[in-house]
Amino acid sequence: MKRGLLGLVISALVLLPPLGEPYVLHVAIVVLIHVVYAQALYVIMRMGYLSFGHAGYIALGGYTSALLATKLGISPWIGFLAGGIVAALFAWALGTVTLKLRGIYFSLSVFAFAEVVNAVFRAFEVFGGPAGIAAVPRPALFGTQLTTHLQFYYVVLVVSLVSLFFLYRLQWTRFGCTLLALRTRATEALAESIGINAARHKTFAFVVSCFFCGVMGAVHVHYLRFVSPFVFTFFLSTDLLVYVMVGGLGSYWGPMLGTVLLTGLGEQLFAAGYYKSLVYAVVLLVVILALPGGLISPPRIFRRGGREPAVPEAAAATAARER
Amino acid sequence: MLEIRGITKQFGGLMALQDVAFMVNRGELVALVGPNGAGKSTLFNIIAGAFPPTRGQIIFNGRDVTGLPSHDLARLGVARTFQQTTLFGEQTALENVLHGRHRHVPARLLAGLLATPSYREEQREVERHALGVLELLGIAAYRDAIAADLPLGIQKLLTVAIALATDPVLLLLDEPAAGLSHDEATRMMNLVASEIRQRCTVVLVEHNMRIVAGWCDRAIVLHFGQKIYDGTPDGLTRDQRVVDAYLGVAELG
Repeated sequence: MKRGLLGLVISALVLLPPLGEPYVLHVAIVVLIHVVYAQALYVIMRMGYLSFGHAGYIALGGYTSALLATKLGISPWIGFLAGGIVAALFAWALGTVTLKLRGIYFSLSVFAFAEVVNAVFRAFEVFGGPAGIAAVPRPALFGTQLTTHLQFYYVVLVVSLVSLFFLYRLQWTRFGCTLLALRTRATEALAESIGINAARHKTFAFVVSCFFCGVMGAVHVHYLRFVSPFVFTFFLSTDLLVYVMVGGLGSYWGPMLGTVLLTGLGEQLFAAGYYKSLVYAVVLLVVILALPGGLISPPRIFRRGGREPAVPEAAAATAARER
Repeated sequence: MLEIRGITKQFGGLMALQDVAFMVNRGELVALVGPNGAGKSTLFNIIAGAFPPTRGQIIFNGRDVTGLPSHDLARLGVARTFQQTTLFGEQTALENVLHGRHRHVPARLLAGLLATPSYREEQREVERHALGVLELLGIAAYRDAIAADLPLGIQKLLTVAIALATDPVLLLLDEPAAGLSHDEATRMMNLVASEIRQRCTVVLVEHNMRIVAGWCDRAIVLHFGQKIYDGTPDGLTRDQRVVDAYLGVAELG
């Protein structure tokens, strides 16, 4: 059932676009890019880390590829990978230090790093300064530049499907399961006591998360054909958080659902400017209050006393704990 | 097998442990006893690698393991439980125990991403082993229950199961019977004294004298950070210093 549905969605994504108008394709491209960002962010949220600065790693990937292409004439195909690697290297360097922090301290450290990245890009002429880098080329395939929406759509589709497959499989590997053991300080101590090197696992997860942000950031920039310090800002970081929270942290499909709904919606509201933030804010509030588990989870009213305890004593035990 | 040499621990001006030394032999079941604040938990945490001592050495299997981080210590075969029942609460009992197998299976990330047949077979083997541990402790019926939903008695057994899944050489249990009913505590201690101690050496922290006298081979008593007794549980009640230390603090016998 699930497989059939997935096959149907992928076939539609592959087969339908030639029928679509450029605007529809544009929305599809934006949605696919953001789905990867959100899903990459979910990797670290699954282990209890909230990032207010993933846009910094996206920017690192985007600028890397843009600079390579415009200054050195290096192919964007290599640039995509280079963008991911640069983002991953910075994530590794920062992660080894900051992942020791938990809660708001970690979140702020990532935020601060993203602001530094942005400030550096804005300050130095090599990086284009406040004006950014224009005329970033589209990649070429068999000698043709992929300039139309339809051509570039397939680039995005391939990169995002590969990334999403990797990120989906990752959570079911032993490594992915081990990340769940590191969600809180207490469970991290337990994990350490059974031989799990928490620091190494957390750093690697952070590196993976930022690698995919870097790759997709590069793809994003080659789609826009330009990049500036005002493209990947703090607001992108918070938008990604909103997507994940609205969709729900309980399953891989949660962040995806949230992103598809809100970016689709966001594109519609783009012309309306500030209304986008307003709509996001209202949606987030409603979801947090009514569906704390996100859209993917059943609403609270259905759950109250509804979920069958897995063992008969469980209800009594819960009651005893609450007393 | 385990040798504690002159362990001293100072927290600021507070002397939590003062020159504590003792040995634990292979196969023994030893209780670390003492009134609240005697330094039992501090010593326990030092042995488990949670933090280093100010002075002194921990020798495990002939190797100086002082100050080794707990994940390295776990790889050498030292497992522990926590005083406050610590579990992977959102996961099922079986998943909890699976984590315990961590040090015995390579991550093999690439094989895992591709879900190769050998990887899946390996995973089934890990699950069989984890289920075996649950069966050993008599809680296999709860394999698919969410750990946080389980009653405390089962949770306590589950924490032991996680530690046991690492195939430890030395198992450190921090108040395994705390908060349990008389019957649950008896069940726990019967398991510790039979199935579990056949597999590894056990050191436990306990201040319930019924448990120390009923199941342990030897008791080591700490009082204000110093060792005041090291001998059979029977001798406890005849030792004047132990009686004095406990007078009015906890019942003996």
